[in-house]
Amino acid sequence: MTRATAAIGDPMTAAADPSRPSAVCLRGLTKRYGDRIAVDNLTIDVPTGVVAGFVGPNGAGKTTTMAMLLGLVTPNEGSGTVLGEPLAAPQSYLGRVGALIEGPAFYPGLSGARNLAVLATVAGHDPAQIPGLLQLVGLTARGDDRLRSYSFGMKQRLGIAAALLGDPKLLILDEPINGLDPAGVHEMRGLIGRLSAADRTVLVSSHVLAELEQVSDWLIVIDGGRLVFQGPAGELPDHSGASIVVAPEQPDDLDRLRGLLAAAGHDSQTAGERLRIAVGGADPRDLAAALNRAAGSGGIVLAELHLTRTSLEDRYLTMTIGGDR
Amino acid sequence: MTSMFKAELLKLRRRRVAVAVAISALAFATIASTAVLLSASSESGEPGAQRGATLASLGQAGGATEAFSIGVSFTGILVLVLFVANVAGEFTQGTFRTLLMRQPRRAGLLAGKMTALLAFVAVVLLLAEILTVAASTAIAPSQKVSTAAWFGADGLGAAAGDYVTALLGLCAWASLGMALAIFVRSIPVALGIGIVWSGPFEHLLQDGWTAAGQWFPGLLLEALAAGGTADVSLTRALALIALYVTIAAGLAAFVFARRDMTA
Repeated sequence: MTRATAAIGDPMTAAADPSRPSAVCLRGLTKRYGDRIAVDNLTIDVPTGVVAGFVGPNGAGKTTTMAMLLGLVTPNEGSGTVLGEPLAAPQSYLGRVGALIEGPAFYPGLSGARNLAVLATVAGHDPAQIPGLLQLVGLTARGDDRLRSYSFGMKQRLGIAAALLGDPKLLILDEPINGLDPAGVHEMRGLIGRLSAADRTVLVSSHVLAELEQVSDWLIVIDGGRLVFQGPAGELPDHSGASIVVAPEQPDDLDRLRGLLAAAGHDSQTAGERLRIAVGGADPRDLAAALNRAAGSGGIVLAELHLTRTSLEDRYLTMTIGGDR
Repeated sequence: MTSMFKAELLKLRRRRVAVAVAISALAFATIASTAVLLSASSESGEPGAQRGATLASLGQAGGATEAFSIGVSFTGILVLVLFVANVAGEFTQGTFRTLLMRQPRRAGLLAGKMTALLAFVAVVLLLAEILTVAASTAIAPSQKVSTAAWFGADGLGAAAGDYVTALLGLCAWASLGMALAIFVRSIPVALGIGIVWSGPFEHLLQDGWTAAGQWFPGLLLEALAAGGTADVSLTRALALIALYVTIAAGLAAFVFARRDMTA
């Protein structure tokens, strides 16, 4: 696979809406581990009140970036603000930030509720909110059970409850869907959707864009520690666009079909035993009819003729791995 | 620091921990008292030459806690192991990360945790001493050891002195364990270094260099537990151990505050 981020163009084309204050504002953030650059001159803005999907392949620098936001890792260069406070002074904003990073980490010998009580005590939060948080994440019945009896999905949900202690204004969730079964993924997506509020910003990372496609209204895409895209999810560059896929009944007719389509003014790309024709600005219905006529004019019967629309995932893959799937 | 102190106590304030502590203290008291009183010699040895009790020394004011003092001298490594496991475990479980996301003042967090754990050690030690005195009192008549001098002012003073000496020794073991855990962030590696260094390594060095006992922390802690030896006075042992603990704790706090929390 070849990376094609250079072809994306200016990553800042979809800049943050200046009318909305940034919950997270990073400028030129860089983190190096020896010769390896984990985060490279990263400049991002996350507007207040959005669910921001933070997407990139494994090793892209997502967790390192989040760790720097949380004061766990010190950047080598760059600056920024979190909830209006300087990144260099995490004690000034961490009381308003909740986070789940690098998986849920709790004391296995304590119950879920006691684990939350420990964290609430450390942060100076009121432990009276714990029953409500356990209810929110569906762990009321298991709150008094020791953590080592929890499934991974339950630990993830407890991690979300821990992150919500103190009603944070910024929620940072690192791969909360990772490792969950399909039911757990569905449940977690719903939970993340419910966590967003007008004055609460949610920054949630994943290496699979499809996991965040339904809940994110802001996207940040990074690759190799560098920013590839940031902006409203709907503005993620559509490099391939919608297309119509056709396949002849006889695979041997594929080259002849491509010739017929070309003669009719339709460029196509071979995709296995099919041809893909970009819709561009045409009406998909009219284009489909034209393709069918062109094939019929050469006596070719089409076994397939259907419209495909690129998902956010396709666009993300195009940006990060050049669409070579 | 205060919030972490309270949080650490919250972890310790559990029925399971209380039961384990009670059983351990009772077992310690029974074993130490039985072993010391039943093995007490009728002949007086050279003071400080070995950690053995005589029937004569047991009948004196400090006799009530002699078994406690001798027993505690063997628990230093155990405390080292417990503190390494506790502190390094916070790294391996990722719980330090979880805590620091809520309390970024790292030195304060570490100080609060250590203070709580040492307070816990102090309580357990007190319980162990009380139970050991009780067990010794129960066994003493069978060995024809008089307990008349045990509960006077001198006896209580000796008991308090033994308690403070034992607590200082265990605090030193605990601090060294904590520092090792902070430096290497791994339970097996920290345990390996701690046990090998303070156990066989220092004793092997002492075999080749007799002055080693005056300088090395493990040997100094043994001297402290013995209340001083012929080679190392109690004052010297205390002073050097305090120096080592200060350096180790200071370095550990510095490293903990500065290193990235990637675990």
